[in-house]
Amino acid sequence: MAKKDYEYIIAGSGVAGITVAKNILESDPSASILMLEAGPEIKAKDRRFWWNYVTNAKTPYSFTYDQKWENKSVGNTNYLSEGVRVKAYGGSTMHWGAWCLRFKEEDFNLFTNTGEGADWPIKYDDLEPYYGEAENYLSVCGDDSENWTRRSTPYPAPPFEWSEPDGEVIKAFRNLGIKPGKMPIARYRKCMTTGTCKYCPLGSRFNAQYVLDELRENPQYVNFKIQTNSPVTKVIASSKKQVDGIEYLDTISGESKVVFGDSVIVCTGAYEVPKLLMNSTSQYWHHGIGNDYDLLGRFVISHSMLMATGTSASNPKGWYQEYDFPTLMSRTYDTEKDQKHGKILLFKNRVLPNTDIAQLMIDGLTKPEIDQKVNGPMSFQLQAFMEEKGRFHNRLKAAPGKDRFGLPKTVIDFNRTEQDAKDAQINLDRMSEVLLEMGLKIEEKPYVQDPGGHHTTGTCRMGQTEEDSVLDKDLKVHGMDNLYVCSNGAFPTGSAVNPTLTLTALAIRLSEHLTSKKGKTSVPEKSKKSAPKKGKAK
Amino acid sequence: MIGGITCSENVGPCLIDGEFQTLTQLQMDTLWRLFQEIGRAWNDVYQDSTNLKSSWLELVKAKADNEPSYIGEYVNAVYVINELMEMYGDQAFGLLFFKNGIEEEVPVSRLAHMKKYVLDEFIRMQVLAGGFKHFGSEEVRKARHKNYKGYLGGSRYYRRSVVRAYVPEDEN
Repeated sequence: MAKKDYEYIIAGSGVAGITVAKNILESDPSASILMLEAGPEIKAKDRRFWWNYVTNAKTPYSFTYDQKWENKSVGNTNYLSEGVRVKAYGGSTMHWGAWCLRFKEEDFNLFTNTGEGADWPIKYDDLEPYYGEAENYLSVCGDDSENWTRRSTPYPAPPFEWSEPDGEVIKAFRNLGIKPGKMPIARYRKCMTTGTCKYCPLGSRFNAQYVLDELRENPQYVNFKIQTNSPVTKVIASSKKQVDGIEYLDTISGESKVVFGDSVIVCTGAYEVPKLLMNSTSQYWHHGIGNDYDLLGRFVISHSMLMATGTSASNPKGWYQEYDFPTLMSRTYDTEKDQKHGKILLFKNRVLPNTDIAQLMIDGLTKPEIDQKVNGPMSFQLQAFMEEKGRFHNRLKAAPGKDRFGLPKTVIDFNRTEQDAKDAQINLDRMSEVLLEMGLKIEEKPYVQDPGGHHTTGTCRMGQTEEDSVLDKDLKVHGMDNLYVCSNGAFPTGSAVNPTLTLTALAIRLSEHLTSKKGKTSVPEKSKKSAPKKGKAK
Repeated sequence: MIGGITCSENVGPCLIDGEFQTLTQLQMDTLWRLFQEIGRAWNDVYQDSTNLKSSWLELVKAKADNEPSYIGEYVNAVYVINELMEMYGDQAFGLLFFKNGIEEEVPVSRLAHMKKYVLDEFIRMQVLAGGFKHFGSEEVRKARHKNYKGYLGGSRYYRRSVVRAYVPEDEN
């Protein structure tokens, strides 16, 4: 075999790719890694961008978002893709909400418990130590006294408090037997003042740019290279068991290039992974790598987002949500018992109640008029992510043509059923009950939003065999020796919570697999030694 | 719409080209006056606005020195303010803030440009930088909102509450 250019080629520079790269390099600083990112590098630590955000709510990365004409939705339910992904250095960590909740034990056994969806080839206990590692790495501020999931390690930092308006919801929760919880949020070490984080001043949220900058600047990591504006267009198979490397497009020069590597790790997200593997046809893989059973892009899972709003005639304490993220949530209906009909993560809207004082001034209202508005009618909104189950006919594929970054356009065939609507209604009724218990008036009928790509999972799922899945329990394409996928697409189920913590845990677990394969130190052992000290609990 | 031939002149919808100008001290003083008048017009905010000069200078510098540059918009704002003061004297700022008569959805007149790119941004900055604390009933102002989206108050390594927090009675 010809000498390879790199030990590892990683496609994608979001949280999955950078976590794998970081852990490999910590185990073996001389490891040679090429990371390819389709999008550009967004300038960071820029005060002009920060002021643009403060004065105009403009972010510097919005030009990388999917555009309407780049994705098509063809099912009975409109699948939203605009604005859900940041295609840039650091990926969607540039704009994520940083909510970090673990999946629950039953999420790994959905098919066994309900006869629908799929089971994971690993179980909660297999991932539990890596959840702890991921929480340390992302600096998750969480509540150790919670018992939503079984934990063997404490959170690295204390939780954010409930805000005063949360109190009204909490009282209603308790009257109705709903247990309130504090939202675990990933905050990071220092503020980058990028203008890309809307949560100042309360500690910046984790952003993969941080890690990438450190990897790039670390003099020990001489063989780490990241290249932006370089979408991977094909994975090159040299047999049914091996890949040789990848082909990518340098969008600046317009040249198509080939790079060879010992292992290829595809970390390009639930949209791009299936399209890339389907495009990687050869004499060995006629329908694309891992697609002999026509499973790539299937089982698209989103979250059904449920919304219920209540209003009160006055706001005597002038409340608004002082944080720009939710601090109150509940997993009372996120249980095995609720699994059959759609378990939910229930949370209070991160924005309401709210009075936009500046806008009222801009509109020419006087101070007495604004004072009245501050104490005037207010709204509370409850929202919930409802679990969806992967279905064979819900599919994502490449559409003809390329987007601005050289990636294939997307077509999504997503369909909801009558049963989905009935399941949603059960949960909407629960949410309405809370609002009524608070004494609020429900003027707008509670509803389910269209699904979207923020939390898309399932398109390249793990499983036991190549007949039911694309990847094995180690995230390796079934039957292959050196092609891995680390993406939300690998999830067989979506659960009721955000996917990023679980993805990060999987990435750490994959790093351990890769380094132990090379005979290097296992990652968790190393990381545990340098885990940050736990913050003072409030 | 208030103002005279300067305010009503059509300069198109695009950002006004600064043509390599540099803001003079006199122009900066006029812009600072506008910022302070915002505080005065909405009463209590004034004391805070006088304490915000360094932040305000940073905003203006960041917007003027980086592309797309606001120099042309800042110079235009000075033209507009000067005309309004010549025409209305002490009433100028009150008219500008509360009765400007602008009906353009897309700003094309000098007055509408000044409002969108300068006045509205100064208002947002002033509110986010602490002005929000001064609105609402006496009870609300006493309770002192501690934070606001975009406001820089508090620390990550908190020992004191950084928001008005809810502590359940059984945890008190």
